[in-house]
Amino acid sequence: MNRILLSVCLLCAVFIACSACYADSTTVNGVLAEKRVVNLPNDQDKWYVSVVGNDGDSIYRSVLRWFGENAALVDLKNKVHFCQVASGTPIYQERYAKNISTLPTVRVQKPDGTVIYEASGANIPMSAEGLHAAIAGGIDCAQGIRPILPWRRYMNNKPCPGPCPGPDTQPVEPDPAPQPIDNGGAPEVDAPSAAAGAILGAVGISVIAVCVVLVIVGSVLAGAIAQWKKGSKG
Amino acid sequence: MKRVFAVLSLLLCFGCDAPIEQPVARTKERPVVNIPLKLRQENWVGSRDEGSCVHATMISLFRWQGRYKMADYWRRTHENGEWPDDMAAKFDRAGVRYAYVENGDVGFLEWACRTRRGCGVTVMGGEHMVALVHLDSKWAALLDNNMVSKFIWIPRETFIAEWKASYGWAIAPVYTPAAPPPQ
Repeated sequence: MNRILLSVCLLCAVFIACSACYADSTTVNGVLAEKRVVNLPNDQDKWYVSVVGNDGDSIYRSVLRWFGENAALVDLKNKVHFCQVASGTPIYQERYAKNISTLPTVRVQKPDGTVIYEASGANIPMSAEGLHAAIAGGIDCAQGIRPILPWRRYMNNKPCPGPCPGPDTQPVEPDPAPQPIDNGGAPEVDAPSAAAGAILGAVGISVIAVCVVLVIVGSVLAGAIAQWKKGSKG
Repeated sequence: MKRVFAVLSLLLCFGCDAPIEQPVARTKERPVVNIPLKLRQENWVGSRDEGSCVHATMISLFRWQGRYKMADYWRRTHENGEWPDDMAAKFDRAGVRYAYVENGDVGFLEWACRTRRGCGVTVMGGEHMVALVHLDSKWAALLDNNMVSKFIWIPRETFIAEWKASYGWAIAPVYTPAAPPPQ
């Protein structure tokens, strides 16, 4: 009898331990619900990349496609505030039309609005890699970083013979642009997905079930051994 | 001779000095959430004869943050007054990325304006919601959906007192704000 009581106590202890593991979960109408955790993104120091153009313009569409397909530009897009602006929209008319001369335009700005790179019309590089290199060069220049290009490593003391090389002669993969301060990483304010919650719930139930089975099996074995010992003594 | 030497030394010293960078005048946009007039959503009367100030405010902020299709969808599908919990449930169902407080936490307002996103805030004892489009150490600016033609500037402390007396509910979509004007 004592062993049965001990088994029940152990079972209760397992349940208490398991419930303590899930203290962050609350029960709402019998459904496990995760508490909402909101991390406000302190991304006021993020830079801005604006791509402005006419929806019917092939270069504009190409540039937008590059920002969705080219790995380096996708990476850049994820590190900045990316603004896609179509001409003819109110936001274009009120905030861009006055300060853009030619469409399409790619503009990179600091948080205070300082333009550190801008290319428009025919000046936009013809490849995604070229555009990324040009933007990276602009960002480096804005931060006072002057990378030494391979073909110039031993020519620092020679005067520059002509105009500086264009963006397409820069390395395809320059040093990555420094990530603006984000105070805690990528902004994530969405509640955990239902799928994640379901997986978590399933794992929890599995753990509890295994513990219960182990305790029951242990109790049965202990009882059987006790009975066997009692029988052998008798 | 000594004087000439001293003058030459002074001139050399000036020559060696690092160039002083001239401060560049930067004009900060005021209000920081400067929603263009055409993007400001006016309040409308819903099917229950209630105003739709919460939805109107959210629609203006959606547009400021480049979510035009969501703004149009919200205008078509939502109306009448709202409570914080109901609004959160509707945003959850629609998959909107948002954040809100209903405890009068001024830090939330400062975050919303610091990141140039803006937020909806309750006023008039909780009967009305307007957009908070600027908050600095002295001033707050509001965009009232009943009068979208101009911003309303009021002292910071006055606004915070009003907001806290109005349940202190603030809610903001969390997307990409429009880029600042070029400098």
